[in-house]
Amino acid sequence: MTDLTLITANKNYSRWPLPAWLCLKVAGLEFDEVTIPFSDPDARKRFDALSPTGSVPVLKHGDLTIWDSAAICEYVAELAPEAGLWPDDRSTRAVARSVVADMHSFSGAHWAAVPFVSIGAVMPTNVRQRTEKITVPADIQRIYDRNTKIWRDCRSKHAADGPYLFGRFSVADAMSAPLVNRFVTYNVPLEEIEADYCDTIRDHPLMKEYIALAEQEPWVHAPSEHPFS
Amino acid sequence: MADITFITANKNYCLWPLPAWLCLKAADLEFDEITIPFSDPNARELFLQHTPTGSVPALKHGDLMLWDSMAICEYIAELAPEAGLWPDDRSKRAIARSFVADIHSFSGAHRAEVPSIDVGRVMPTNIRERTDRIKVPADIQKVFDRNTNVWRECRLKYAADGPYLFGQFSIADAMSAPFVNRFVTYSVPLGNIEADYRDTMRAHPNIKEYIAIAEAEPWSHEYSDRPFS
Repeated sequence: MTDLTLITANKNYSRWPLPAWLCLKVAGLEFDEVTIPFSDPDARKRFDALSPTGSVPVLKHGDLTIWDSAAICEYVAELAPEAGLWPDDRSTRAVARSVVADMHSFSGAHWAAVPFVSIGAVMPTNVRQRTEKITVPADIQRIYDRNTKIWRDCRSKHAADGPYLFGRFSVADAMSAPLVNRFVTYNVPLEEIEADYCDTIRDHPLMKEYIALAEQEPWVHAPSEHPFS
Repeated sequence: MADITFITANKNYCLWPLPAWLCLKAADLEFDEITIPFSDPNARELFLQHTPTGSVPALKHGDLMLWDSMAICEYIAELAPEAGLWPDDRSKRAIARSFVADIHSFSGAHRAEVPSIDVGRVMPTNIRERTDRIKVPADIQKVFDRNTNVWRECRLKYAADGPYLFGQFSIADAMSAPFVNRFVTYSVPLGNIEADYRDTMRAHPNIKEYIAIAEAEPWSHEYSDRPFS
């Protein structure tokens, strides 16, 4: 029993356990996990009881409750500064935070030109499945183009510093990881730089560990299986 | 000419210039502003020309280009630590970041859970207008409740430390400010504690200055004027 507990929905079907989980692992912090699967009839009630907004993931640290991936990753970076979860250079760190914020609001809240898009409805998170049957709708492709342009810009600029977005593995990679998995699930075509980046992320030992855990989960969530039947 | 340039859409019709603008002001940093009004037929091109992803607000500091309110506010907090834009206490700061992240994604990442919501369509930002004719749809009320629940909890918990969410003015207040304005525009009924907080915010000298600038803007935007005609 540790004093850190990460509470999330299932890894296979939820986009959001991954960034906080990766940061905790990279930081070398011990933590317990509580998984509330979507299929639990009381899932909503249990989520609501956790945080003022009923959202998961939630990180508990003693009496403290932190919710939202971006805030949890910031906290983990503060708990374990030696893990270097943010770039050391202030300007680079600021750009990394822009990337994180962009991934965080990826469905376009801040992009006036993108109308309502529900990626989760068209291409639900499903780490263990594969299909190439889904044609990416134009609205969603525009968001993907935005995401991958950011990856490409980062990789072009920081290639000499290491294989990740800002050289060393950072919160920006952790927040990008769910999208990497989605691109694999749906065989989304990528240019070389982005494809290499996805391979690098998928090869990360902690990613492999997470994917294995997701694949082994016993639960089935019918609404996330429709593209694969 | 300051070496910081803040690039945004117009203040009256856009939800998002306000948080970063308030942080820059609270940090007492000099900055130039570039406003690209929505009504400019080349707005989209201009956004793309001034920013890496075409999203505003963006902040230019010398060669550094940042985008997204959350990342810009973090950067300002780092530039001017003496302004205390985050609470000093690590746990309090983590909660403040949870709330900020939640606001940041409320119409985006979490939209999956509360589909069919587009607050901007039903209740577009329009700082200088007033109406009490719009009945808040249940879905949108849930999102509002999500924010006001946190306001109430914070105010109950930190009332002794000052009049803002975490006592002294922080990024959590800056990110809440656009919603304060929306509640005023649409005369949204609030509980006593939230109404007091709204009034405290509207009385903040920097918010008053911002509102005056928004009210004086020359542009009109048909789409955002619909609810008031």
